[in-house]
Amino acid sequence: MTKKKIGTVWLGGCSGCHMSLLDIDERILDVARLADIVKCPIVDGKEFPKVDIALVEGSVTSDEHLHEILHIRKQAKLLVALGDCAVMTNVTGMRNYLQLNEVFDTAYVNAISNDQSGTVPNHPALLRLHDKVFPLQEVVNVDYVIPGCPPSADAIFYVLFEFLNDRVPDLNEVKKLKYG
Amino acid sequence: MNTIDIKINERSLKVLPGITILQACRDNGIDILTMCHLKGLSDVGACRLCLVEIEGINKLLSACTTRVASNMVIRTDTEKIKRYQRITTELFFAERNHVCSVCVANGNCELQELGYKVGMDHIRYPFLFPECKVDTSHQYFVMDHNRCIMCTRCVRACSEVEGAFNWDVKNRGFQVRVISDFDTPWGESITCTSCGKCLQACPTGALWSKDVVQGQLEKHPEMITELVEKRKLLLT
Repeated sequence: MTKKKIGTVWLGGCSGCHMSLLDIDERILDVARLADIVKCPIVDGKEFPKVDIALVEGSVTSDEHLHEILHIRKQAKLLVALGDCAVMTNVTGMRNYLQLNEVFDTAYVNAISNDQSGTVPNHPALLRLHDKVFPLQEVVNVDYVIPGCPPSADAIFYVLFEFLNDRVPDLNEVKKLKYG
Repeated sequence: MNTIDIKINERSLKVLPGITILQACRDNGIDILTMCHLKGLSDVGACRLCLVEIEGINKLLSACTTRVASNMVIRTDTEKIKRYQRITTELFFAERNHVCSVCVANGNCELQELGYKVGMDHIRYPFLFPECKVDTSHQYFVMDHNRCIMCTRCVRACSEVEGAFNWDVKNRGFQVRVISDFDTPWGESITCTSCGKCLQACPTGALWSKDVVQGQLEKHPEMITELVEKRKLLLT
């Protein structure tokens, strides 16, 4: 049997879901027997390769994320939304009922820590924030979701292990659903 | 005692006339999902989770506000009902800003529990992201409209149990909000007795006491039921 390929990425998220992924501890060896992890946020910046399973953390908050998720959708056989931000925008979506300039001003100009002299960064190399934050499902087709902030390591391992053994996981059936 | 015959999920039951379908189910150990129902308070059929199918009626009726009738044939567990319950739950989440991870009620919330019960893993509807205020003007309590699902349990606890009539409801549709007095800050209320019953009645993190932090909220809605039951004893 040829090994499957897994790639992971974080978009508008806090990396907490990836911490939870690392929390599967020694079970990573079970995953490694069945698959190679060919891409993750701590490897170099090559573009997202063809994979069997893409774990995507975080929501779509900027032009860069949009470009990335559209690319990943083409590269991945199975796209899994990992965590509440990817599934339902969660904390990243809390700015959605504000105007973008209010958000920038709150963070860079009016923040207590920056003595009123702050300016909004606008270097061309920086990503451009969208007005609204979207969950993955509003931008691309998502094949599976793991809710939770973060999802438990058990839930992540369960889903990965089932997919790697060509079974379809059911988080509800094994009582591993969790939000927040 | 006079009883009438009804059938729930193929089970023949003898129940007292005049009780609701919900009560008949609960008395006979038949599980039914509810959110706006709180034993001791009147029922208003706001949440639409307890919908049941009744033979001969071509729409779903809420079990908490429909009374049993002789030879009624009721179903509580069909695929159609399960589908509607899931839709209702998703709409609760999509309507306001329910961010579990930063909510005081995280891990101790009836809405969260409901999501697990109906097996909701994601929400199929676009989020509305309404601008909702957080009223912190009260000395002890907070009203966070972001988390409110308009079950109106607080409104009924305040009027029916405390008799203060502080809470009420304004507007319609998705602009509907719970208000204090005539839509004034809670802290300026002249009717609120600061009894805290609304906090206990609230199923989510919409009403909470200022001395709790994220994920630490504990609620005891059953204390409302207990209070009502004990008052009945006093009257007899």
